[in-house]
Amino acid sequence: MNQKQRQQVQATVLENRQLCREHYRLVLGVADFAQTEPGQFIQVSCRPVEREDEISDDLQWDQQGRPEVCGEELAGRMALLRRPFSLAGRKQTADGVELHLIHRVVGVGTQWLSDLAVGERVGVLGPLGNRFELPRPDGMAILVGGGVGIPPMLYLAQRLAGRKAVAFCGALTRDLLPMTLLEGGTAGRVDAVEPLLNVEEFSRHGIPAVISTDDGSFGFRGFVTQALERYLDANAQAMAEAAIYTCGPEGMMKRVAEVAASRGIECQVAVERAMACGMGTCQSCVIRVRKPDPAVPPMAGKDWCYRLACTDGPVFKGSDLLW
Amino acid sequence: MADLSVELAGWKLSYPTMTCSGTCGYAFEYADFMDLSKLGAFVTKSITREERPGNEPSRIVETRAGMLNAIGLANVGLDRFLAEKVPLLKKMPCPVAVNVAGHSFEDYVQTCAAMNGLSCLSAVELNVSCPNVKDGLTFGTHPGRLKELTAQVKKVLPDKKLIVKLSPNVEDITATARAAVEGGADILSLVNTFTAMAVDIHRRRPRLANVTGGLSGPAIKPIAVHLVSRVYRGVAKNAGVPIIGMGGIQYWQDAVEFILAGASAVAVGTALFVDPAAPVRICEGLAQYLDKYKIGRLTDLVGALELPGDEPRKTPYA
Ligand SMILES: Cc1cc2nc3c(=O)[nH]c(=O)nc-3n(C[C@H](O)[C@H](O)[C@H](O)COP(=O)(O)OP(=O)(O)OC[C@H]3O[C@@H](n4cnc5c(N)ncnc54)[C@H](O)[C@@H]3O)c2cc1C
Ligand SMILES: Cc1cc2nc3c(=O)[nH]c(=O)nc-3n(C[C@H](O)[C@H](O)[C@H](O)COP(=O)(O)O)c2cc1C
Ligand code: FES
Repeated sequence: MNQKQRQQVQATVLENRQLCREHYRLVLGVADFAQTEPGQFIQVSCRPVEREDEISDDLQWDQQGRPEVCGEELAGRMALLRRPFSLAGRKQTADGVELHLIHRVVGVGTQWLSDLAVGERVGVLGPLGNRFELPRPDGMAILVGGGVGIPPMLYLAQRLAGRKAVAFCGALTRDLLPMTLLEGGTAGRVDAVEPLLNVEEFSRHGIPAVISTDDGSFGFRGFVTQALERYLDANAQAMAEAAIYTCGPEGMMKRVAEVAASRGIECQVAVERAMACGMGTCQSCVIRVRKPDPAVPPMAGKDWCYRLACTDGPVFKGSDLLW
Repeated sequence: MADLSVELAGWKLSYPTMTCSGTCGYAFEYADFMDLSKLGAFVTKSITREERPGNEPSRIVETRAGMLNAIGLANVGLDRFLAEKVPLLKKMPCPVAVNVAGHSFEDYVQTCAAMNGLSCLSAVELNVSCPNVKDGLTFGTHPGRLKELTAQVKKVLPDKKLIVKLSPNVEDITATARAAVEGGADILSLVNTFTAMAVDIHRRRPRLANVTGGLSGPAIKPIAVHLVSRVYRGVAKNAGVPIIGMGGIQYWQDAVEFILAGASAVAVGTALFVDPAAPVRICEGLAQYLDKYKIGRLTDLVGALELPGDEPRKTPYA
C-alpha cells in the first residue's frame, strides 16, 4: 500500500473571504494531495495545529531536569472532533494543490475557521467518501444546490466544464447565496426560470444557472425545487439522458429526489450526517437505505439496512434512500 | 532507546499503545494514517452473536472536550465477522484482540467459543457494559453476575487471554474488578464510557435518539486515571493482573499518567477521530520521556505513582 489514497496533512490558509452573510470561502494550500473527485469531502481540524512533527519540543526541560509540560487542558469552547466539509473545488498551482471549501458559520468549529488569517495552519484529512458519477457523455447534468449544499455543486461544475449542464441554486435570501453574482449580470425575473450566465463559479465553466430566493430578493421567487420542476416541465424532451445532482437541506433533497423519480430521471444525492471518524470506524453516520435483495447481507431478511454516509456515501442514489 | 515492550499476563506486546474497541473499525481502516505494525495491539469493534443494525440516529453528539455515543453495538455479527473480517485480521501486522458483547450468558459463551480457535487472535476483550435482555440489568455492574460471566467465558477460551473491560458506571469499581479477577480474567481494561446525556435546548429534547449515550474523550480522563489507580492499588497489583488503561488519552502525557497510576498498557479511542495516528505518536512521546529520565524499561514506570503515606520511592531525579 504505497500509494496512499487518504492522508493527514497540515494545510496553509491561502484565502479566507466572507462570501455573504454567513458563508466563507476558505482556500487551503498543501504541497500535494491525493486525487479527489466531486462529491468527496475532507475532515478539518477546527482547532490550533498540534506540533505533531516536533515531539521533542513538547517537553521543555528546565535546569533541574523536570519537565514543564505544556499540554493545555480545554477550558473554553473548542471543537474536539474534526468537521467534515465538501470540496468546493481544487486547483493545481505551481506551489502545490489548492483545496477550496465554502462553509457556513453555525457553531464553534466553523466560527474558528472563519477567524483564520492567511498563512495560518490547519490540519486536514482526506479525501473521504465516494463521488458523483458523471452523466453519460451526451447527457445533461442538472445541479441542484440549496444553501450550504451549494459547495459540492461548484466542484462538480468544475469537472463538468464543456459539457451540457445547468445549475439551480437556492437560498432564503440574496445575502445567503455563497456565490459570486456577476456584476452587471441580470438577476432574472422573479416569476420565470431562465438559466443565465450570471454566477461566476458556474459561468466560468460555461454553465448557466437559475438562482432562486424564497423572498425573491434575487432571481426566481420561490423554492429551488419549484424552479427545477418548471424547468423540467418546459424542457421534458431534453431530459432523456439527464442526471440530477443535489445537495442541501434534507427536505429539499427529498423533494428533488421525488421530482426526479416522478420523471424517470436519475438522481444522485449528497447527504450530510453527524460524523466522528469520517472513515467507517465509528458507525455514527448511518442513513437508512433500501436493499434490492432482502436475502443478501447486511441485515439479511430485512428490506432495508443502514449505510455509512462517510464511506458508502455521501453520494447515494435518490431512489435508494429511505432517509 | 528505552524498552517499550510490555507483557500482559504472558501476552507480549512490542509497544504499550493499543486501540479502543469501537473507534478503529475491524482491521485496516486506519492503515493509510499509521504503520499498524507500531501498534501494541489492535482491538476490534464489539462483535455480537447476531448482526446488529445499531440504534436509530442521531448516534453521536460532541460535548465539551468529549463526545457522547449511542451506537447501539452496530456490528456485522459473528458469522460475517468470521467470513469477512477474520481473513483481514490474519494479515494484521500487530497482535489482535477481538471485543465481544452479548445480551445473555449464552450469547457471550457462544461467541467466545467461536473465537478460541482463531489463530489471528491473541486475546478476547469482554464488553460487559450491555444490558441482559432477560432482566435489563447490565452484566458489568453487578459483581456476582460479572464473576459468573467471566468464569463461564473463561472455560471456552483456554487458548486466549481474557480481558474484562470494566464499566465506570458503578458505585465501587474495585468490587467489579475483584469479581472479574475471581472469575478468571487475565487482564483488566478500564474504563468504558460514562452514561451521560446532552439536551437540545431549542427542541427541549435529548440530542441523542437513544436519550443517553456514553461519554468519552479528554473530558473523562481525570476520572479514568483515578479509577485505574483505585483498581491497581485495591485489586490488580496484589492479584498480579495487569491493567490496560483508557479514557480520554490523546497525548503521551496522558498515557504517562495512566501508567504511573498502574496501567501496564494504554488504549486510545476518541483521540483516533482527531488524529488517526495518535497511538504511534503517543508511543514516540513515551520513548522520549523514558530516555529523558534514563528509565530503561517502560514496565519500571507501571504504578510508580507515589501517594501520600507511601514508602518514599527513589524518583529518577531525586
Ligand atoms: C459530508 C459532509 C459535507 C459537508 N459539507 C459542508 C460544506 O461544504 N460547508 C458547510 O458549511 N458545511 C458542511 N457540512 C456541515 C458541517 O460539517 C457542519 O456545519 C459543521 O460540522 C458544524 O460544526 P460547528 O462546530 O461549527 O458546529 P457545532 O458547534 O457542532 O454545532 C452545530 C449546530 O448545533 C447547534 N447546537 C449545539 N449545541 C446545541 C444544543 N445543546 N441544543 C441545540 N442546538 C445545539 C449549534 O448551534 C449549531 O447550529 C458538511 C457535513 C457533511 C457530513
Ligand atoms: C464511537 C464509539 C464507539 C464505541 N464502541 C465500543 C464498543 O463497541 N465496545 C466497547 O467495548 N467499547 C466501545 N467504546 C468505548 C471505547 O472503547 C473506550 O472504552 C471509551 O471510549 C473511552 O476511551 P476514549 O476516551 O479514549 O474514547 C466506544 C467508544 C466510542 C467513542
Ligand atoms: S463517521 Fe464514523 S463511520 Fe461514518
